Amino acid sequence: MKRRPNHEVRRDQLIGVAVFLTVWEVSAQAFDKPLLLPPVSAILAALWELLISGALIKALGESILLLVAGLAVASLIGFICGTLIARSKTAYWMLNPYFSALFVTPTIALVPLVLVWFGFGFTGRVIVVVLAAVVPILFSVASGLRDSPDDLIEVARSFGVKGEIQLLFQVRLRAAMPVLMAGLRLAAGRAVVGMAVAETYLRLGGIGGLIKSYGAVFQTDFVFAAILPLSLLGIAIVTLISRFERRLHWT
Amino acid sequence: MTNATIRNTHPPAIELKGIRKSFVLSEGRNARTVMALDGIDLAINQHEFVTIIGPSGCGKTTLLRVMASLILPDAGDVLVDGAPVSEPGTKRAMVFQTFGLFPWKTVIDNVTFPLMVRKLPAAKAREIAMEHLVRVGLEKFVDAHPHQLSGGMQQRVGLSRALATGADVLLMDEPFGAIDAQTREFMQEELMRIWQEEQKTVIFITHDLDEAVMLADRVLLMSRGPGRVREIIDVDLPRPRTDYDVRVRKNFTETRSHLWNLLRNDLVEQRAEETT
Repeated sequence: MKRRPNHEVRRDQLIGVAVFLTVWEVSAQAFDKPLLLPPVSAILAALWELLISGALIKALGESILLLVAGLAVASLIGFICGTLIARSKTAYWMLNPYFSALFVTPTIALVPLVLVWFGFGFTGRVIVVVLAAVVPILFSVASGLRDSPDDLIEVARSFGVKGEIQLLFQVRLRAAMPVLMAGLRLAAGRAVVGMAVAETYLRLGGIGGLIKSYGAVFQTDFVFAAILPLSLLGIAIVTLISRFERRLHWT
Repeated sequence: MTNATIRNTHPPAIELKGIRKSFVLSEGRNARTVMALDGIDLAINQHEFVTIIGPSGCGKTTLLRVMASLILPDAGDVLVDGAPVSEPGTKRAMVFQTFGLFPWKTVIDNVTFPLMVRKLPAAKAREIAMEHLVRVGLEKFVDAHPHQLSGGMQQRVGLSRALATGADVLLMDEPFGAIDAQTREFMQEELMRIWQEEQKTVIFITHDLDEAVMLADRVLLMSRGPGRVREIIDVDLPRPRTDYDVRVRKNFTETRSHLWNLLRNDLVEQRAEETT
């Protein structure tokens, strides 16, 4: 298929959004049940109110902090365990089943355990994000490092690079970088889900908390007004990683 | 004259004494040991150009990797300038068959790599790298990535990287094998020119008989495994060989056909073994 020019894509997207919002607004006005479907204008008004009251900024700040902390811890754990799994068959057979199980277990099913073990404070919430995000990182580290770039290792050794640690950082990890970044991007998407789960099922807080508390009092326009920045946050973080990914890719 | 004096006063650039190396090939339960190098004694003089040729699987690459100390022999010694070595060193630099460039590094960063490993200041490393890249006509491509370059250009980068290390000995593993025929001839001329200007010692693996004879002071013919030196042949052709077509000289054709006859026997035997 021929690649479409950017301005055409943007034009189509704008038209799509405009049509969608207009249909929404008109049908919501005609339907006239704001509890079920608030009109776009009401949602925008709610969003504006959240913005000027500072509630949204505060919530976003909390959520981003949780997300970044969770991803950082997940990356660290994923990196260490992933390296182990890639470099040692024993570690692979010992650890792989647990991580595979964790990958398919919905994070929300683990929330009660986290609550009992770690409480509902920041630690508990970070752990929920880690549980959601760690496996894609770990698997990408493991698979990225498993295909050993033997020829480049030899090049590095011939020019005086010594020791496994040096080779790991100077060659193996760098060669695996495209795979690692793809894993991180996947993990970021899951981390946003984990974050929302943590904020709604542990203790209310952040964007997830906003959504839950407005939902509880049936202020549907405010629920929508809080969902929107949550999606945007998710898109922003994934886009950011994609950008970085493209810069690290060499072809 | 100069060569003779050097040979008398200097130890060989590289000397191998009784090198043995075997590998264990594990195919399921029946692991078997394969002899790759079976007692190699060899001295390569300063500023000499030696090509190594032999049937596939004869241990040429193993021999070169032993010279580079990338693998250690089971027995025997490798001496560089008369001193035994056991790990890669700055007096030897390798050029690889598939170029061995880091695909994520730019051309200049690939060339500075060995210098950065040695902790040279970045500016100094860049200056040295630049100088060598200009020499091979790649100054416009210093910020390109390897995949943007043709095979010939990539190998010029590989050669620049080896030369930029300042190593006296170049260990080249079929460096032009992956390059198209016409570019290869240019690369051969370029290499001969550099070798002559810079007085390097070159050890050059090839599977191309023409190339082996054309470049070499001596051609080392290896026999089919277990890896032994079958014959070392002096190539008696005047230098510089870049000014004329060496291939039409009588000495060239005679040396080439002598080598081919030796090599041919091995290949015939090899084929017979494979079909039974």
